[in-house]
Amino acid sequence: MYSRDQVLRIAAKDVEQITLLKDLEELEHLELDFWKGPTHPDFPTDVHVPFASLQAVKVFLESNNIQYSIMIEDLQSMVEEEKIQISRSRSTEQMRNTNSFDYASYHTLDEIYSWMDMLVSEQSNLVSKIHIGSTFENHPIYVLKFSTGGTKRPAIWIDTGIHSREWVTQASGIWMAKKLATDYGKDAIITSILNEMDIFIEIVTNPDGFYFTHTQNRMWRKTRSTNSGSSCVGVDPNRNWDVGFGGAGASSNPCSETYRGSHANSESEVKSIVDFVKSHGNFKAFISIHSYSQMLLYPYGYTKTPVADQQELHNLAKKATDALSTLYGTSYRYGNIIDTIYQSSGCTIDWTYNQGIKYSYTFELRDTGRYGFILPANQIIPTAQETWLAVKTIMEHTYNNPY
Amino acid sequence: MRGTLWIVLGLFPLVDGHPTLKTNQNSLETADAALNHQSGSLNSVLHLDDTEKAALEPTRVDPAFPMKELNTSHYPATRAARVAQHYLNYHHGSPSKWFMVHDIKKASSEDIPEVGTKYHVQFSVQEQATKEIVGNCTAEILFRQTEEQSAPEVNCTCDDLLKIETSDADHALYHHIKHQPEPMTGMDIPDSQGNIPKEMEPFWYLGGIGASFIMWQQSNESTLYNMVHVHSVKQLNSENDLLAFDYVVLLHDMVSQEIIHWHMQVAWNPTQGVKVTQCHLLPKGTMKQPSAEKHKI
Repeated sequence: MYSRDQVLRIAAKDVEQITLLKDLEELEHLELDFWKGPTHPDFPTDVHVPFASLQAVKVFLESNNIQYSIMIEDLQSMVEEEKIQISRSRSTEQMRNTNSFDYASYHTLDEIYSWMDMLVSEQSNLVSKIHIGSTFENHPIYVLKFSTGGTKRPAIWIDTGIHSREWVTQASGIWMAKKLATDYGKDAIITSILNEMDIFIEIVTNPDGFYFTHTQNRMWRKTRSTNSGSSCVGVDPNRNWDVGFGGAGASSNPCSETYRGSHANSESEVKSIVDFVKSHGNFKAFISIHSYSQMLLYPYGYTKTPVADQQELHNLAKKATDALSTLYGTSYRYGNIIDTIYQSSGCTIDWTYNQGIKYSYTFELRDTGRYGFILPANQIIPTAQETWLAVKTIMEHTYNNPY
Repeated sequence: MRGTLWIVLGLFPLVDGHPTLKTNQNSLETADAALNHQSGSLNSVLHLDDTEKAALEPTRVDPAFPMKELNTSHYPATRAARVAQHYLNYHHGSPSKWFMVHDIKKASSEDIPEVGTKYHVQFSVQEQATKEIVGNCTAEILFRQTEEQSAPEVNCTCDDLLKIETSDADHALYHHIKHQPEPMTGMDIPDSQGNIPKEMEPFWYLGGIGASFIMWQQSNESTLYNMVHVHSVKQLNSENDLLAFDYVVLLHDMVSQEIIHWHMQVAWNPTQGVKVTQCHLLPKGTMKQPSAEKHKI
């Protein structure tokens, strides 16, 4: 049916060329199917061209000096491939429920927020959504609460996506939230934990940054707050916490990717969590998830002085990474931040540890640099699955070792 | 045939007269000479004083310069091994062969007064296309203490490196490209979702191998580089039997977390390997960042 049809990736270089492509779109007799319509010179246009129209289209592009490449040389050979089903179905189907949601694909902010509402409505006995604050650009900041009752039970926190370009983390957060909701009542450990503790998951910890990675710059890391006196935007939310603030391990330059901000907690994305954690007062574990590098880290980042609980945290990290590797053989390094990766001041888990939350960990998920931040979507579920084993290990230890 | 190769000393061209690729004043070899090493000859046009020669000789235990055992999970070993990886890729990589450090087994370092710090690392590498693991690599990496960036000097041997046989794949690719009616182009490899069209994969590898040259040159004890994106690749005309490509690549430095754009020209054929013929850093803000996917509604 698609034999010898091709999919072309077109790189329009300016608005005039975009206009030409829009004209092309109007020519119904060519029966073109735009997977990604012509919108802006910064974004590629992908179009499925039936074999009969190929020559006409290529002549059109070439005579107008519009650059293109052949993305798929023979569409028929791709028809069975999952990639087509995913990319077509998710753009045409409505999201019906959290069981039909495509966990093996990267989603937009709107899609994730819709998914959260669906999960809450499907399992309102277990899951609720809390609005903990607003971003610089006024996006709401939401946390999912998993609870079987009680008041301010000892709690576990998981956040993903504090650095917006680390897309496998938000995607893993979605998967883990769904897993948690599914496994209550089925998995012995999860059931025991949730019968006595609450679990909070913040999936999109940096919504402004995340939106920016979808619309403008896939490599954006920081928040999107403006900095007075500078044309550079954004603060590194993992250097903005009130611990070692101003010391080595963060930058004072607003243009830097590790800019600490004008003062600790200047970022509403960070302040919202600080206020929430302080007013809750009963968190026992705090897990902040990043990518990439395949590491499990405990405090401190700002100083070489070991934490008092170093031995226990080190042993637990080993146990967690051993568990992680049982699934796909993925190997992780582990240790304290400052020796394992670099000195960093003002980072999340240094602050949470100093608040008395002993089991404070940072993950760096897949991979080790082959794909880096742009991890293929087909690795989302394996990454989430193996990470879940490590997270469960930490949660179980927290549950078994009350303090 | 025992696949052990001696690769002595870093080699790099002066490029575009551009100051960002500053070379050590003692080393002025070209990338051509680097490629000669692949075929086994050991050219050295460096003129070194005695201290420098001592620094580069294979390790002897000398109580005046104590060796410090390093934790293989900690960053000093990680950064040194990464430099060796970049070096290995530039000298042995191809559009079908790309190595990443798999596991660091042992590492140590020694401070050499007035020279710099020399690291000794034993590690395994995994080749990305075949997934084969090459077990035993030993490298010495010397980071000189210089005011401006200078490329670390690498001395690296890997047992069984040559068991990874990709010359058929390389020759097939070479002929395929040579016989295309039009020069190839590509952009956004991978795309936002991490997808890479099958026919783009060799150009992604080739970009990675070319970028390895830049990353090796730019490395020091405070960097940890990866190539995270090929913004664009365009085949250039070439009269000789080398294929030539123009690339813009994005490198990520884990330590500063910065994403930097480099423009490079890469020449390749299966027998001569990969050569970076030109490269320069693009100022921040010059290139539009990798575009995100617009979802089709």
